[in-house]
Amino acid sequence: MGAAPQQASPDQRVAEFRKIFSRAESEVARVIVGHREVVRKMLTALFCGGHILIEGVPGLGKTLMVKAASETLGLSFKRIQFTPDLMPSDIIGTQVLTEADGHREFQFKPGPIFAHMVLGDEINRATPKTQSAVLEAMEEHQVTVFGTTYVLDPPYIVLATENPIELEGTYPLPEAQMDRFIFKVVMGSPKPDELREILSRTTGTAQNRIQPLFEPSRAPRAIEDLKALVREVMVAEPLERFIISVIGGCTPGGPGAIPEVSQYLRFGPSPRGAQALILCAKVNALLAGRVSVSYDDIDDAIVPCLRHRLLLNFQAEAESVSSESILEQVTKRLRKPRT
Amino acid sequence: MDNPVETIGIASARIARLAAIRAMLCAVAPALTAIALGVLLEPIGDVTWTRLGYRLAPERAAWLSLALIGAGVAVLAAGLVMALRAYRRANDFVAAAAELDDRLECDQEIVTFATLADPSAPESIVARRTPLFPILWRHAIALFANLDIRREFRLEAGEPLKRSSIFAGVVALAMVLATLGLVRAPTPENTEAAKLRAIAEEIARTSASADDSALADKIRQAADALENFKLPPEEKKKRIEEAMRQADKAAQKRNNSQSGKNQAAGKSNAQNGNGNGKSQGQGNSAGAGSGEGNSATGAGQNPGGKSSASGKGASGKNSGKNEGGKGSAKNDKNDQNKGDQSSIELHNELAKAEAQVETANAKNPGPDNQPGNDKNQGGGSQPDANRPGSIAKPGANGDRNIPAAGGKPKNNKDMGSNLGDTHLGEMPTSTNAQRYLKPGEKGAALDIKDARYVMFRLPGAPSSGNGGKTVLDIDRPTATTGYVNAPLAPTSDDAPPDERQLVPPRYRDMIH
Repeated sequence: MGAAPQQASPDQRVAEFRKIFSRAESEVARVIVGHREVVRKMLTALFCGGHILIEGVPGLGKTLMVKAASETLGLSFKRIQFTPDLMPSDIIGTQVLTEADGHREFQFKPGPIFAHMVLGDEINRATPKTQSAVLEAMEEHQVTVFGTTYVLDPPYIVLATENPIELEGTYPLPEAQMDRFIFKVVMGSPKPDELREILSRTTGTAQNRIQPLFEPSRAPRAIEDLKALVREVMVAEPLERFIISVIGGCTPGGPGAIPEVSQYLRFGPSPRGAQALILCAKVNALLAGRVSVSYDDIDDAIVPCLRHRLLLNFQAEAESVSSESILEQVTKRLRKPRT
Repeated sequence: MDNPVETIGIASARIARLAAIRAMLCAVAPALTAIALGVLLEPIGDVTWTRLGYRLAPERAAWLSLALIGAGVAVLAAGLVMALRAYRRANDFVAAAAELDDRLECDQEIVTFATLADPSAPESIVARRTPLFPILWRHAIALFANLDIRREFRLEAGEPLKRSSIFAGVVALAMVLATLGLVRAPTPENTEAAKLRAIAEEIARTSASADDSALADKIRQAADALENFKLPPEEKKKRIEEAMRQADKAAQKRNNSQSGKNQAAGKSNAQNGNGNGKSQGQGNSAGAGSGEGNSATGAGQNPGGKSSASGKGASGKNSGKNEGGKGSAKNDKNDQNKGDQSSIELHNELAKAEAQVETANAKNPGPDNQPGNDKNQGGGSQPDANRPGSIAKPGANGDRNIPAAGGKPKNNKDMGSNLGDTHLGEMPTSTNAQRYLKPGEKGAALDIKDARYVMFRLPGAPSSGNGGKTVLDIDRPTATTGYVNAPLAPTSDDAPPDERQLVPPRYRDMIH
């Protein structure tokens, strides 16, 4: 079980973070074969206080992965399957007329959004009205029902999935809502070795049990302490300038924008993108045993943090230019000199 | 060092110093090259003049030299400014930390530390320190534990010097191109003026007397006047004549003083009983008209020199006491010969200069009489001093030995001197010497159309048929008129073309 980090020395807190993170990865890896990068990004998003959008075809184990992570960390978990007829009240809850002691009153019945870890499966199948209900909760960490605001207990993370192949009858997330996800990770198909391991684990009698890292009662507090530690990681001014230059370089017409950006993008990343970059880089620094961010930490965060924040124009889609390739071009141009 | 802030500060100062030195190095080579070229432009011009026959116009050379020196100084000043700016730019605490980060490969820990620990940072930056900052401090100390700043930040002068040498090459190339653009073929006046200046320098160098200095000045003025195309020809001639008069005066003085010296030496020798006949017999040549010498300059300045004195005194024996007197007499003789030669040379050069002026005046009357404006080019056999190609290379015609007017012909030993340079330009050195035809004899036509010079080959001494003894050909008629290096005037000759030779009448008696 995790120690109380706030009373520990800075060195102990850093070591504790690395240990918990590493163990969480290992525990999730007991049930999820491969996808280590997705798992890492999911945990990173948790410790950054953000949300994550996972793109992948059905059957890759997305639900199982989130469930395993919540079980590992001792956090509550809810899953919402988004459909076109799903209403906001189905997600956030509603007032229900109840009778007790001869009195009738409306009582708030919380929806599935009230959990530490919420999996929104195929979020793009719901109507924008329903999507916006979720997205308000994501950003504000609270919901309002009939004028009453209910705060969501921290830590709070939404993991939304998108199916990239079945786009008929879907409502793609608007850019403003996409921007609220700290990461967008893509789950690919498992490799042959990984598939063989999946088959051996899921079609046999053996069952891998997950060892929780925290007791459910004190898990939220422990996670919040670790999130606080992430924010204590220091960033040098030159690195902040580098992040700003990356954001500017990805913005059409922005300072230092490369020709490809102006050619293929309609909009660039918002300041949320820069925040996401720094937070992700801080987690990466802690995982590397440092208390300060390096350029490598930022490099590692650029694609998952910014890929869904670049809005491609028609020409890019016609020419099959991906946002990842544009980000690669930008980082290549800005890599040296950095100071 | 336990304090990483101090370490970064020291590194910052060193980086700034090195940056300043490197910036300065970039400017030093081109600056020094420009200054050196500016200073050495005149000697280089002398060398090209001597070896190639081309020169930079003096006024242009002076301007170019000044411009080069000025440019060099300006580049040095610019280098200083660049060095100062480089020092200021590089003297940055955080930038030095970033440099250390790169060198030590410590993942921006040092630069982060420096950002938060910069002594000059505002409070807002210091407030960004978190509880994790002590870890960063300890990491910085550990990273600097084995750091040797002097070894880590060396003065790598190769790259700036390489860049600087490229700039220096550009400067040198620009200088060469500028020189090539400004260089011009010297006119005969330039050539003559250069010779006069050389003579003036020689006189000023070998003699300290006031008369010789005045003579040298006059010669220089004449040379300047000769080159100054703005001066009217009359003025040029006037200056040259002044120089000639001064030269005559100086020669006369030297002769007088030399004869006085010789007489005194003779007396002294006579008193010693063993008179030195050499000094008596050779010293007063000017008065005696023997033609051996007209003047003697620089008495006693050539103690080791050998003279061709041949006279002997009455008493052939020289005691040890009189050896000094004898040597002195020999040196006098030697100096006298030298004086003769230089005087003749000077006289010839001045006469040639005067002839140049006359020729130029005759050919280019009017205000357009400038070097290179030859309107008469190709107008027949008249020599054209201004025509391109009529460039004299100094020293190239030194194989002519022309005796002074009234003097005896020199022996073959003197043929190596540059006396009697009787032409204005390059003397053709034909391997098949033209032979003049005897009257009535018909041979191949002489191809002297458009000839600019006529070479005379004087018959040498006849070979002795009497026991192998060589005798001087002293009875052969010689020219009695002093000649100058004047272009031959056109003559009206009614002779058939084969026989037509543009020979002044005064030389025809020399042709047999």
